[in-house]
Amino acid sequence: MVESRQNILKGTLDMLILKTLSLAPMHGLGISRRIEQITDGVFQVKPGSLFPALHRMEQEGWIEGSWGESENNRRAKFYRLTPAGAARLGEEREGWTHLVSTIGLVLEAS
Amino acid sequence: MPLLPLIKGTFQALTRSDELEREMDEELESYLSMVVDEKVQGGMSADDARREALMELGGTEQVKTEVRQSRHGATMDSFVWDLRHALRLMLKTPGFTAVVVLTLALGIGANTALFSTVNAALIRDIPFDEPHRLVAGEKTTDGVPNGSVSRLDYFDLRDAATSFEGLAAYVPHRVTVTGEAAPEVVGLMFATWNLFSVLRVDPVAGRGFLPEDELEGGSSVLISHALWQRRFGGAPGAIGRTVFVDGEPRTVIGVVPAGFRFMNDTDLWVPVERGDFFIDRQRDSHSLRLVGRLAPGATLAQARSEADAISQRLEQQYPDSNSGKGFFLDDLQRQMVGDARSSLMLLMATTAMVLLIACGNVAGLLLARSQGRLPEMAMRTALGAPRKRLIRQLMTESILMTLVAGIAGVGLAVLFQRLLLQLLPLGKPGLPEPTLDSTVLIFTVVVSVLAGLAVGVVPAFRATPRQPWEQLKTTSRVSGGRRSTRMRSLLVVTQVAVSVVLLIGSGLLIRTMTQLTAVDLGFDPERLLAGTVGIRGSVYPTPDERSAFFATLMERIEALPGVERASGISKLPIASPSMDWLVWPEGQPKPGYGEGLYALTRFAMPGYFETMGIPILEGRGIEDIDTPDAGRVVVISEAVAEGLFPGRDPIGRHLNLDWHDPYEVVGVVANAQLDGVRADFPEAVYMSSAQAGATSMWLTVRTESDPLLVADPIRDILREMDADVVFSRPRSMTTIVENDLSGLHTVTTALGLLAGIALLLTAIGLYGVLAYHVNQRIGEFGIRIAIGASAGKLLTLVVDRGLRMVGAGLVLGVTLSLFGTRLVQDLLFETDPLDPLTYAAAVVFLGAVGLAACVLPAWRAMHVNPVEVLRKE
Repeated sequence: MVESRQNILKGTLDMLILKTLSLAPMHGLGISRRIEQITDGVFQVKPGSLFPALHRMEQEGWIEGSWGESENNRRAKFYRLTPAGAARLGEEREGWTHLVSTIGLVLEAS
Repeated sequence: MPLLPLIKGTFQALTRSDELEREMDEELESYLSMVVDEKVQGGMSADDARREALMELGGTEQVKTEVRQSRHGATMDSFVWDLRHALRLMLKTPGFTAVVVLTLALGIGANTALFSTVNAALIRDIPFDEPHRLVAGEKTTDGVPNGSVSRLDYFDLRDAATSFEGLAAYVPHRVTVTGEAAPEVVGLMFATWNLFSVLRVDPVAGRGFLPEDELEGGSSVLISHALWQRRFGGAPGAIGRTVFVDGEPRTVIGVVPAGFRFMNDTDLWVPVERGDFFIDRQRDSHSLRLVGRLAPGATLAQARSEADAISQRLEQQYPDSNSGKGFFLDDLQRQMVGDARSSLMLLMATTAMVLLIACGNVAGLLLARSQGRLPEMAMRTALGAPRKRLIRQLMTESILMTLVAGIAGVGLAVLFQRLLLQLLPLGKPGLPEPTLDSTVLIFTVVVSVLAGLAVGVVPAFRATPRQPWEQLKTTSRVSGGRRSTRMRSLLVVTQVAVSVVLLIGSGLLIRTMTQLTAVDLGFDPERLLAGTVGIRGSVYPTPDERSAFFATLMERIEALPGVERASGISKLPIASPSMDWLVWPEGQPKPGYGEGLYALTRFAMPGYFETMGIPILEGRGIEDIDTPDAGRVVVISEAVAEGLFPGRDPIGRHLNLDWHDPYEVVGVVANAQLDGVRADFPEAVYMSSAQAGATSMWLTVRTESDPLLVADPIRDILREMDADVVFSRPRSMTTIVENDLSGLHTVTTALGLLAGIALLLTAIGLYGVLAYHVNQRIGEFGIRIAIGASAGKLLTLVVDRGLRMVGAGLVLGVTLSLFGTRLVQDLLFETDPLDPLTYAAAVVFLGAVGLAACVLPAWRAMHVNPVEVLRKE
């Protein structure tokens, strides 16, 4: 049980990051804050899971990192969604919807 | 997952790991500073903000580890990282690295070199087509293999056996080649026509033997590639030319491939003639060795039982000659390796033990170092490095070091191997040459990695604490030292034990050597030159002409300055063994099988016994009066006299010698070691070489000083007398005697050397542990001295500890030796494998070395300055 929830959560993190980046290129902290903001603080993305996810997805070719200036004139690495990443987001979204509706069916069954 | 990014990522991990690492640092730093910025904007002080930001981050090291692990090629990445770290560490501590690498390189090098020999002799195939179908054959008496097969028995076996595709016979010989180039003495092999087809070797020029080459009057000869180059310059026109073999003209029909070697170093192959010579009709004249190729599908066991059935039939058919006789068939390769196997295995086991001791020392060193690194490891654990990673890193370090040692070891092995090739008994020519081929290199890598694991695993686990805080609590004082010392003490005990085994083993061999050098040869080998001279039977057709040639030769040699006496013999003691005939007193029936007395048969020239220094006990030796026309005479050894004429005077009695007419006994001489230094065969009969019309003799020349000085003058004399006669392989008798022991001598030297290395390593190991132990307790010793302990008390403390380790090792080692010395039993001569003197000597010797290793640490303990120590505390 615990295992499956973690898997779902892990999958969700990728999806959330991709979704966030689909709106605008962002650096690590930006992504983290943005997710917190959107979910009203329900999801707190810790650096310990954020950075591994970013580096993994960068290697997969879903996102691309480049160095730039932050709003406070700090040097920061900005991530941007690639076409492959957009496609991946679509897949994830589909998978998620399917999962939710399937679980919904189970829960609504009497 | 798409393949391209995977490859790219892995590639990057390998090639750009530094860059990625730097970028990650930067990214985390930028993240951190932005979080700080946020908090400062929220009204926090800069310091507080930074502390809280760090806490939120939850450990940079951990985040970095997780990022690293999430990347492709993560394992490779961390491996590369470990490797670099290990390399840096090796370079940072060059002294430590050098000691470890050198110690292991010696061990690995010796093992590699020896393994290459074992590989060549026992693992690799002999260089013939389908070598596993080749079998060697010899005669057995009462089931014990004992040499050559008679020609008639060979024909019967060959014709009746169906398990063979082909069965060939051969016998090696030495001859003088003349014609077209300078005369030389070379190896010749009489072989049945099918030898090369059984071995499946085709000539590179001309043709091979055909069945008709065996017919009487045939004169074909096959020559080696080397002789072809030497005498004919490799010209194709050599085929059809004539070479003179001991004066007999023979026509070259073909050239054997370069590098072909089989059983003996041979340059000429001549067919065994199927003639009607008297010796060919003797079923109990044994001269041939057999080699056969099993028929397709036939097994060695089938061939054996078939040969047994045939030999039983022959026993019934020819009870006089064949009672108790049989055939012994064995795998050809096993026969070629022969006795070298046990020596090789013994040395291999010994070298492995030396490596084990070397590993023990290195493990000890690593253990000591790992204690010093405990705080570092604890710190890294606290910073979030998983224990598994740390262990892997430490293992990488030790394996890297042993691999470097392995590479150095291969270099050493090349040197060792040259030495080994000259020294080791390698079996018969024809076995593959030892090389550092892929099998050997794989062996080296495996041994290196295993050594790395062996020396690294305990220190790695010891150095990485399960509970980091325990480590951090203690300050400079390292806990766990006691446990580490106990581990190292165990290592030393094992080392001492192994050293004792090796010392006892080499001690037994040394005892054997002294026994052998003390053997009374029965003749005086000092200042004695020996070499062979052969004349052509066709140039000197009558016995008178032959003995005249040799008599003149002796006269002229004795006229040389520095020569005391010169004579000749058909077979030189030690160098030229065997040839034993049945002897019995005249008038008695020929003894049946297993009843008679066999004696080594030799043909001597006048003055032989005087030259050799073999005392004449009764009557006379062979003299000038024993010409071909005079009555046939024999001089017998004491053992024959006692065996045939117990309590009676043998002089004037007559003897039967196999199929010969009776000989009159004219003298009795002392027994001598004719068949080898270790031989137990004192029965010998000496006949007159003049009466036998011998054409080939060993010259024996007693000189006043260095015997080799007269070799060249003798060559000059021979050249003047007959330009086609060669004085072959002149050597001093002492060299010949040494050569007979050389195999054993080598094994003894090698084992002694290895035992010495083992002892040295053990002493170093013991010293290391005690020195470390004293270092650990230096504070305690300081206090003891401060409160009045005498220096002697401290000395006892340290030495006691050292001797307890040595004592335990000795007990273990002696116990192991009681079983282990069986390994050397075959090599021993008149030495009890449980020889108490050897055991005692080894124990005392090792004890003394152990004590010596205690001295320096004990001296340090005694001279601890309490004030200094206590100030440091």
